[in-house]
Amino acid sequence: MHIPDGYLSPVTDGVMLAAAAPFWYVALKKIRRTLNQRTVPMLALFAAFSFVLMMFNVPLPGGTTAHVVGGTLLAIVLGPWDAIIGISVVLGIQAFFFGDGGVLAFGANCFNMAIVLPLVGYFVYKLVSSYAGASSPRRLLGSVVGSYAGINAAALFTAVELGLQPQLFHTAAGTPLYAPYNLAASLPSVMVGHLLVAGPAEALVTGLVVFYLQRSHSRLLQSDKKAKEGGKRWIMWGGLAALALATPLGLLASGTAWGEWGLDELKTLGLDFIPQGLQRLESWWPVPLPDYGFPRMGAVIGYIMSAFVGMALISGLLWLGGRGLMRKNASRVELPAPGKVLE
Amino acid sequence: MRSEGFLSHNIAGLSQALESVIAADDLSRKPGLLQGLDPRAKLAAFLLLVVTAGLLRNLALLAVLFVMALALVFFSMISFSFFLKRVLLFIPLFTVVIAIPALFITPGTPIWHIGSHISVTQQGLLSAAFLFARVTDSLSLGILLVLTTRWMDLLSALRWFRLPGLIVSIVGMTYRYIFLFLHSANNMFMARRSRTVARFSGAANRRWLAQMLVANLVKSQHLSEEVYLAMLSRGYSGEVITLDNLSVRRRDYLCFVSVAMLVFILLWVNYR
Amino acid sequence: MMTTTPVFETRNLSYDYPGNILALKDISFSVMLGESVALVGANGSGKSTLLRLLDGLIFPARGEIFSGGRPLTEKALEDAAYARDFRSRVGLVFQDADVQLFSATVWDEVTFGPLQLSLPKAEVVSRGLETLEMLGISHLKERPPYRLSGGEKKKVSIASVLSLYPRVLLLDEPTNGLDPHSQGVLIDFLIRWVGGGNTLIFSTQDLDLVEELASRVIVLGTEHSIVADGKPEDFLSDAEFLLKTNLIHEHAHRHKSLVHRHQHAHEHQHQGENSHQAN
Repeated sequence: MHIPDGYLSPVTDGVMLAAAAPFWYVALKKIRRTLNQRTVPMLALFAAFSFVLMMFNVPLPGGTTAHVVGGTLLAIVLGPWDAIIGISVVLGIQAFFFGDGGVLAFGANCFNMAIVLPLVGYFVYKLVSSYAGASSPRRLLGSVVGSYAGINAAALFTAVELGLQPQLFHTAAGTPLYAPYNLAASLPSVMVGHLLVAGPAEALVTGLVVFYLQRSHSRLLQSDKKAKEGGKRWIMWGGLAALALATPLGLLASGTAWGEWGLDELKTLGLDFIPQGLQRLESWWPVPLPDYGFPRMGAVIGYIMSAFVGMALISGLLWLGGRGLMRKNASRVELPAPGKVLE
Repeated sequence: MRSEGFLSHNIAGLSQALESVIAADDLSRKPGLLQGLDPRAKLAAFLLLVVTAGLLRNLALLAVLFVMALALVFFSMISFSFFLKRVLLFIPLFTVVIAIPALFITPGTPIWHIGSHISVTQQGLLSAAFLFARVTDSLSLGILLVLTTRWMDLLSALRWFRLPGLIVSIVGMTYRYIFLFLHSANNMFMARRSRTVARFSGAANRRWLAQMLVANLVKSQHLSEEVYLAMLSRGYSGEVITLDNLSVRRRDYLCFVSVAMLVFILLWVNYR
Repeated sequence: MMTTTPVFETRNLSYDYPGNILALKDISFSVMLGESVALVGANGSGKSTLLRLLDGLIFPARGEIFSGGRPLTEKALEDAAYARDFRSRVGLVFQDADVQLFSATVWDEVTFGPLQLSLPKAEVVSRGLETLEMLGISHLKERPPYRLSGGEKKKVSIASVLSLYPRVLLLDEPTNGLDPHSQGVLIDFLIRWVGGGNTLIFSTQDLDLVEELASRVIVLGTEHSIVADGKPEDFLSDAEFLLKTNLIHEHAHRHKSLVHRHQHAHEHQHQGENSHQAN
């Protein structure tokens, strides 16, 4: 799934780098806080392990072989934020020193394999195993389903990134300048390979490793102690993130949402006159991101970025507002612990 | 997959990785043109050139970049065959294979008819050419950088460019321990191969692989604890302090400026 | 002027591995400046653990440790100034060189210690060069660890600790895995080092090494406590004692007579063999 340089336009590379940046930032802050002194040797050794894991050719039933990423496995053992940094480090070393995966495409490759993969994988793992004991079969199932979901989610993003290239970047004559296959071609070709081969490989290896770990070193599967403190908040964030990432689907729907028409659309809808008020208002508020697009960027990517910016703004306002409220009461506002919720 | 194939394949891959790094290490110490330049200048120049390779819309200019890379290979005392093997084998070749369908399915002016319904379009051919050219150019530049720069210097350069110290420390240590794991994995595969009298089934191989992975995972955990103690014992207190000995000379400025000029010219010609 | 404050003093030291497995029981001894102490005991007797306790990397479950008269506790080491002082005074060379060599190159490894002590750059560089010179490995300066032989790794390990200019060296099985020549070089170096008034505490199972290097032996028994503490000559001729504490095995005698280095050891082995045959 490593995308070499040349398949994505530098603009796409830049956008994906910007998309990865907030996750890196958060991950860095989190690991600084939780591991402090042990961070460097811990992440380094597990990253080294991941690197070698990625090198293996795994024999699959049926005679094919595949490579695995192991992002979900790493998230299960170390926690999702450490996994983000760990896999990013491995991808960086692969890109720079081994030429595996582009340097400009580093942001995209990290977004797919170091961010989407472990986050989706871990999210599904937690959903399925939801605080069952370290040695329970539900954990094993969670790891298998989670890793399968994780790698396919990553493949989906990869396919979309590649598939958008011809549409967005071509010469006047219609020659695609980067990856030459549009969405209709890239989606099935990338997804089939991952749904049928790479996905099962990932699930198989992750499952087997978790299986043996449960037998001999189950304490390595206990990384969710930190998660317990956050209560069920992670579900909310996971859901929001999924929504943000799914916003491009809005582009596929033709037409505009009811009530959100611009003046041009109103005309086509049949209105012969435009209410004076609307006309005056239209140009009054200088919108920084007209039509949700960033200037000169791919529509879809712009759309997603807007979603993130919107989310960030809303979250920021909520946080500020929340802080203001909290100053009044000294106690912290905490979501109920999982046990209580289940009662 | 037959056990022999599975084991040999993996051993070959691991040994190759080890060898290629040692080769790069040796080459980066030769007194060639690029080896003598400051890593920061090289890194900045490299990034400029790779972005340019991404922006060019002219195949001839992309070819110019490749020729320039070859010239640098020559002046940096790297053998052409070694360089070309490293660059072309695998990714560009793989790209050619991937691009073949594009020759036919890209809409546009047909220039070659094969049979009554299938034809190669001009747009298809061009797009395959662009892809191949870009991939080869970017890879050439990257490999040039790595073959002529000691990777510790590269890390120092990244640190100078404000990559967080924590990350640089992690990357450095990861790189160091990758070799330990490559060696030990290699040994495990070879030990298994020497015990392969009859063929192991795919399932047996998978089980062995998983157990081997678990062993390595546990070893990672154990080693990380031990390494932490070893660091602590010598005064580590959370932030790795390092010795940077990078010094910029006139030729580094020259290098960067000339690359910037080249990039400017290329882009100007391109967008004219 | 000879100081009378012990370099290390332990009182009823006990340590458990996770899962309540006994590692050390009731360890009490003092080490004075200039001593060269061999910690001897079979595998699993707790030698490595004791060295790590002395280096303040782990802390006892029961009992106390003092270094230079001050208690060596987790809390004490939280004081940055004391930690710096302690870390530069006492150095531990781990048994596994791959653990000790965690840096990218030999030079990085050797300068790691001085850098963490926040010494000025010029000082760091001069210490690095000097230490490499001291161990005869200056030519290995730019090598990464995966291109070093076992013996070279060991030398780099020791150099990386020496650059701290410690007064106390703790060595965990220093000659383990080294070929005879490298062993000899190392032993010569350590003899000179101790001769300079420094303190050495090393764990080993190599009785030859004990004879050549130690002025004192502490024997850890199979029960994880001290069974003997005194001059090497007092125990090393007592074959029965050595057998009981799992320090020798019948075959080992013959093994060693093939690789003996000098008369002294040979004699002891003869004595041991004879007294054994006499039984």
